[in-house]
Amino acid sequence: MKDKALPNLDRERAGVTGPWRAVAFALAIVGVAVLTLTEQAGGVETDARQRFWAAYLVNFGFYLSLSLGALFFVALQHLVRAGWSVGVRRLAELVAANLIWMGLLFLPILFSGRTFLYSWMDPSVVAGDKLLEWKEPYLNVPFFTARAVGYFVVWGLLAWFFLRQSSRQDASGDPALTRRMEKLAPGTLLLFALTVTFAAFDWFMSLEPHWFSTIYGVYYFAGAIVGAVAVLVLLAAAMQAGGWIHGAITVEHYHELGKLLLGFVVFWGYIAFSQYMLIWYANIPEESVWYLARQSGPWLWCSVALLVGNLFVPFLGLLPREVKRRRITLGAWAVWLLVFHWLDLYWLVMPTFSPASLPFGWPEAGCLVGMGCLFAAGIVHLAARRALAPVGDPRMNESLAYENLG
Amino acid sequence: MVSIPIDDNTNQDPTRRAPLVLGKADFETVTETVCRIAERPGAPVAWYVAFGISATLTVGLFAAIGWLIMTGIGVLGNNSPVFWGWPIVNFVFWVGIGHAGTLISAILFLFRQKWRTSINRFAEAMTIFAVMCAGIFPAVHVGRIWLVYWLAPYPNQMGMWPNFRSPLLWDVLAISTYATVSALFWYLGMIPDLATLRDRATTRLRRFAYGLFALGWQGSSGQWHRFEWAYLLLAALATPLVVSVHSVVSFDFAVAQLPGWHTTIFPPYFVAGAIFSGCAMVITLAVPARAYFGLKSLITIRHLDNMNKLILGTSLLVGYAYGIELFTAWYGGNMYEAFAFANRAGGPLAWVYWLMVSCNVIIPQLFWFKRCRTTPWIMVVVALLVNVGMWMERFVIIVSSLGRDFLPSSWGAFRPTMIDVMMFVGSFGLFLTCFLLFCRFLPMVAMAEVKGVLPHGEEKEGEGATDEH
Repeated sequence: MKDKALPNLDRERAGVTGPWRAVAFALAIVGVAVLTLTEQAGGVETDARQRFWAAYLVNFGFYLSLSLGALFFVALQHLVRAGWSVGVRRLAELVAANLIWMGLLFLPILFSGRTFLYSWMDPSVVAGDKLLEWKEPYLNVPFFTARAVGYFVVWGLLAWFFLRQSSRQDASGDPALTRRMEKLAPGTLLLFALTVTFAAFDWFMSLEPHWFSTIYGVYYFAGAIVGAVAVLVLLAAAMQAGGWIHGAITVEHYHELGKLLLGFVVFWGYIAFSQYMLIWYANIPEESVWYLARQSGPWLWCSVALLVGNLFVPFLGLLPREVKRRRITLGAWAVWLLVFHWLDLYWLVMPTFSPASLPFGWPEAGCLVGMGCLFAAGIVHLAARRALAPVGDPRMNESLAYENLG
Repeated sequence: MVSIPIDDNTNQDPTRRAPLVLGKADFETVTETVCRIAERPGAPVAWYVAFGISATLTVGLFAAIGWLIMTGIGVLGNNSPVFWGWPIVNFVFWVGIGHAGTLISAILFLFRQKWRTSINRFAEAMTIFAVMCAGIFPAVHVGRIWLVYWLAPYPNQMGMWPNFRSPLLWDVLAISTYATVSALFWYLGMIPDLATLRDRATTRLRRFAYGLFALGWQGSSGQWHRFEWAYLLLAALATPLVVSVHSVVSFDFAVAQLPGWHTTIFPPYFVAGAIFSGCAMVITLAVPARAYFGLKSLITIRHLDNMNKLILGTSLLVGYAYGIELFTAWYGGNMYEAFAFANRAGGPLAWVYWLMVSCNVIIPQLFWFKRCRTTPWIMVVVALLVNVGMWMERFVIIVSSLGRDFLPSSWGAFRPTMIDVMMFVGSFGLFLTCFLLFCRFLPMVAMAEVKGVLPHGEEKEGEGATDEH
């Protein structure tokens, strides 16, 4: 270890103080109000209701992916026993722990929205459709519900476990807690892979119940991890700018997060290309129909925008070293990538409901803002009265002393 | 002779990092330990025995290839409907083996996994020899091998170009790029060590030979500066290749409409399988090599433990792909796809399928237990079985899908011939011959890099190099 003075962590040790629980409560109220208003404003016609629920699903998928990506990030750091990332890990733990409430956001879909979203839930659609009849052992409402409950239980327990153990360590500094988290990391990732895959199949792939793609789960994951790292960058920058985090996060951590962002952007591109190229090349109608919808009319421009905006441009933009080492430039790219990650979810869901136009109006914006308030409320609530960096982690000094050489 | 005491560095104490190199680890010991293998006057008897066997098998390989060229493709088992038989199975198998070397040398370098320094050199060597073995098969099975240069796109007076939309052409480009970059990377990294061997050489011939390839390396700070930049850049260039090469190989299958071949998860699934089999081959070679050449203090149990974790992780990824493929074969509701998997699991080649599942998914689960990850004989057994399983996987993919496709009237079985067997076994001969020559004449461990992770005398006594960062 180099003999340089390590940054001061007094600010982080003191933890977050102030009436933040009240702020979280207020945010939650606003969020619920905005969502309710958005739902009511649309009226009762089937088209309007369907549009609301499609917008709801897009945004649910978006915020859910951020928390799932964060859970992956936390478990991965423990799996590889990373030292550099300790300074930013608490933020990821907080974002991931939002999963304990994410199930509540799914309840409206389960109780009300599902009939507008999933055509296979309509017995009159299934009757006579050989494929849907064939798929009934999997695509049926009770099993769909049971699976969703299972996913949320698994995610909530895992995310809560990591936040709780890590928070306990703030006070005790007990290395045994690190060992405990490391022991659970491989199993977490195993469960994560299975649950995320089937959740993506259930909630997004089954919107087109005839269609299938084996890489679909990986595709959803690839977008999720880009979104999660982008959120980490923004949270770190905001918390530091606001004085909540002082020394725990250094310029080196931003540089590392920027590299991860670049790497996962390419990974998303690789997965998206694998899916598209193989379906385009073989040109089998049962598969290519999905891309045909996304290449027809205005959706073509959405597809092209996704390719350029979510892969080519950020790839070039994130290459320079200085871009990744400056909070403002890296933050700007994080915002950019979140916008396009949202567009990715939009592109996955919307063509089913709106084949000839790209709807964006009150339903989409209302769900984005309303759910965003709830998402923020969850993080603020979890962060209140907690340290924003794992100050008791035995590898904290390693993270503080960490430097990028190349 | 220098002997280095062995102790345990597999602890996982979060408050400190375990040492990477064990025993009395100073610069001189590292140089002595590695160089004496290449400098020892006669090789040990066992080396000659192994070399004799593998060289004989290599002769068998080239004899079989000669017979193939003189007679024609009919000497192989390839026939309607299984036009891709063992040669392509072997090709995919060997390309896959190579991937662990590039992963260790490039990706782990970018991830600053300093434990890679002890094993990267021979893993890279393994990559190059594996790619050599792989390249032979598609080349000789094209039929008129004297026209094999038609595969390359070049301006010619016939105005004839290969089909740029064909993955077979992408393969040619991917594999040749991969071979070139891997060889450059391997050679570049070896230059400082070749200079060490040159400086220690006691005969004129050795000084000349090592001196020629050391390219006048003096170890000046200017040279080191450029060397490290070049190494970093090559690592960044080689990283996409780890993913792209086997993705392109997977396209050979997945772009087709054949049930069992056409599925979108193929590219990442093939990459995971490639790294899986490659890591298993690293274990297969590293365990005997470290025991035989006295490298236990440099290639420690911790290194093997880490490799075994990689094997477990990639085994789970491969298992995930098998599972999702099976699920989708049912969920998709396509009767041909469903039949392809029912045929694999219950058809005439079911035993190969279940052998594959056992070797690739079930047996590697042993690596959840630390005892299995740290006991050399257990890991060698598992690694060998993984290699068997991964060969079987390619056999299952190729032969079961081609043998029974859409029309039952066009079904057929595949039976390998003696030439198939000779070429397959012979490719192992070629691989091992090259590897044995490498062990004998070149620095098996990247001395200069290992020295970079040693403590520089500042640390307190007893603290070794650590894999911090």
